Amino acid sequence: MADLEIRDLHVEADGTELLHGVDLDLDKGTTLALMGPNGSGKSTLAYSIAGHPAYDITKGTITWKGEPIQELLPDERARLGVFLAMQYPVEVPGVSLTNFLRTAVNAVNEEDVPVREFMTRLRSEMSQLGVDESFLQRSVNEGFSGGEKKRFEILQAALLRPELAVLDETDSGLDVDALKIVAEGVNRLKGPDLGVLIITHYTRILRYIQPDQVHVMFEGRIVASGGPELADELEEHGYENIKDLKASV
Amino acid sequence: MTTTLHLDGLTEDALTARSGEGGEPDWLRDRRLAAFKRSLDQRWPDSRQDEFWRSTPFDRRISVDREIVQGGAARAPGGIGDDADAPVVVANIVDGALTDVTVPSGVADLGVVVTDLAEAAQTHRGLVEAHLGSLTTSDPDGTGAGSDRTITVNDAAWTAGVFVHVPAEVEVDTPIHVRIHATEAGAHLPRVLAVVDHHATARLVFEHTSADDVDALVDEVVEVIAHDAAKVEIATLQRWANTVQHLALQKVQAHRDASVRHLSVTIGGATVRLLPEFDLVGPGAEVRPLGVYFADEGQWFDLQPYVRHIAPHASSDVLFKGALQGNSQTVFRGNIFVHADAVGTSTDENNRSLILTKGARADSTPFLEIECADITAGHGSATGQIDALHLFYLQSRGIDRDDALRLIVFGFFREVLAEGRIPGIEDAALADIAARVEAADLGSVQVNDAALQDHT
Repeated sequence: MADLEIRDLHVEADGTELLHGVDLDLDKGTTLALMGPNGSGKSTLAYSIAGHPAYDITKGTITWKGEPIQELLPDERARLGVFLAMQYPVEVPGVSLTNFLRTAVNAVNEEDVPVREFMTRLRSEMSQLGVDESFLQRSVNEGFSGGEKKRFEILQAALLRPELAVLDETDSGLDVDALKIVAEGVNRLKGPDLGVLIITHYTRILRYIQPDQVHVMFEGRIVASGGPELADELEEHGYENIKDLKASV
Repeated sequence: MTTTLHLDGLTEDALTARSGEGGEPDWLRDRRLAAFKRSLDQRWPDSRQDEFWRSTPFDRRISVDREIVQGGAARAPGGIGDDADAPVVVANIVDGALTDVTVPSGVADLGVVVTDLAEAAQTHRGLVEAHLGSLTTSDPDGTGAGSDRTITVNDAAWTAGVFVHVPAEVEVDTPIHVRIHATEAGAHLPRVLAVVDHHATARLVFEHTSADDVDALVDEVVEVIAHDAAKVEIATLQRWANTVQHLALQKVQAHRDASVRHLSVTIGGATVRLLPEFDLVGPGAEVRPLGVYFADEGQWFDLQPYVRHIAPHASSDVLFKGALQGNSQTVFRGNIFVHADAVGTSTDENNRSLILTKGARADSTPFLEIECADITAGHGSATGQIDALHLFYLQSRGIDRDDALRLIVFGFFREVLAEGRIPGIEDAALADIAARVEAADLGSVQVNDAALQDHT
């Protein structure tokens, strides 16, 4: 049994079914890229794993480390090691970034990390991701540029040390230098205890983070699966041939 | 023997006798009597008729049939600043009497005066006579000069007063704390006059506390004169038991290039009606009226910041934020007046309300009255619930719902509180807010999921 096992997942939002029976396996220590055109249901899958309240799972299961998690609250899933780097990170006015990160780290570790130790770790992770210390004075995502928000998502992953990291379009909006920094950040986290699900429209992030497997999603279903070469094929031919792919499955 | 005074039955004889017993100079007695005569031409507010009382039913929320409390046996409580590294200035008003004033020698050496207002009427007559009542009823345009008796009765019958004077060019970082404490039922009429001379700086803190369950009405008037280029920071904390009725006028006159920040923190009280008012009478003056409030079951807060732009090129920026839970009611009525001569005015006023549970009600009216075209003005008001997306984001990082709600509520207020400059105030306010949040049934907090639908 895979560490993350999704079976026949049907998801609705606002009364419309967006996923029509998705199956997916992901083991810790591996990296899976989920590709597909806009509106194919990639983000819906990401949010469904994290427990976003707007998405209703109407059928199927999400099993993580042998435990069904689709009924759990988002914070319960996070404490089981699930992390979602969001495509559009939320601005939470007035909530200080430092206070937020420390509360989150303490919650996930289920113990209070001493302030000094926490700040040392925080500063070190920030400098590795090229995040200026002045951010410590700011509120969560408030007034951040698109690129700053994405870096901040990876900073959170670095501090929370998840076992499953879902990266939803983390590359979008990043210039090539920022993309390299973010990809290096992800690669530092990779190891036998982390499974990575990279959700992306384009292949460029996959040049920096090597996937073991590639899935292609279309109209709420996974229509093709293969090795890294599948990404190259998509890069070359685009998603226009997706129906052919579908036919060849 | 102290002559008894009744709030709703003042007489010339009683006021004359009382002034004599207090050893007050003739000019002060005459002021009191003049105010008393004006009060006879006025009436208690009628919420059906008085525009500024329309949102709060005076006859249901305020009772004036009370004897005026003129001192008792209770002692002053401690307060904010007691644990500060350097001792702060403290003036204690307990049950309608000024019980003690402590001025650290370092502050006194600068020439700063903090003393009994009735004594100052003799020892600092020039300043007190010129300024006392100048922002209320001595001035025909002052607040209280109209039909509202609640301020005039304080002019006539205040019982415990503090006078503060910061001489020109003296910069005092040490906060001056005026602690108003009520343990006895009845009407409490405290009065404060602060004169901050040109290029001086001062920090004033008003702490309002009471015994549990005391049935008191506190009718308070504070006047602050900020002369040219003075910098004044004011914080007022309403930490009453939830039985106290509180009417407060805290009025500041800002002269040329004066800079004033006023932060009100309203947590306690059955009914609190707070009027932080600002007359910008000198060019280049700037004021920042800030407010946070958190109303719970049975409470009624009526916040009415009023800024009058009289002089040109002055600026004001009002920001009030309130949270409500249980059956509670808040009223924000912000008023900005810009005189025809006040060219180059820059003004903004905003109110945000966060409704946490069903049954709470927030009225919000940011009001502008503009006679001058050559200005920039803005205003805004928003009432909402906790945003489900904010909650999801925090929860997705492992923070449980209750802690996430706390963070969001603190964050809502932090924007305002972080602007305060007086040590200890932000912590005290957050502690009060935390106590409110702790007491709340977080399970019943309603979350706005409209944003979720936009999101999908």
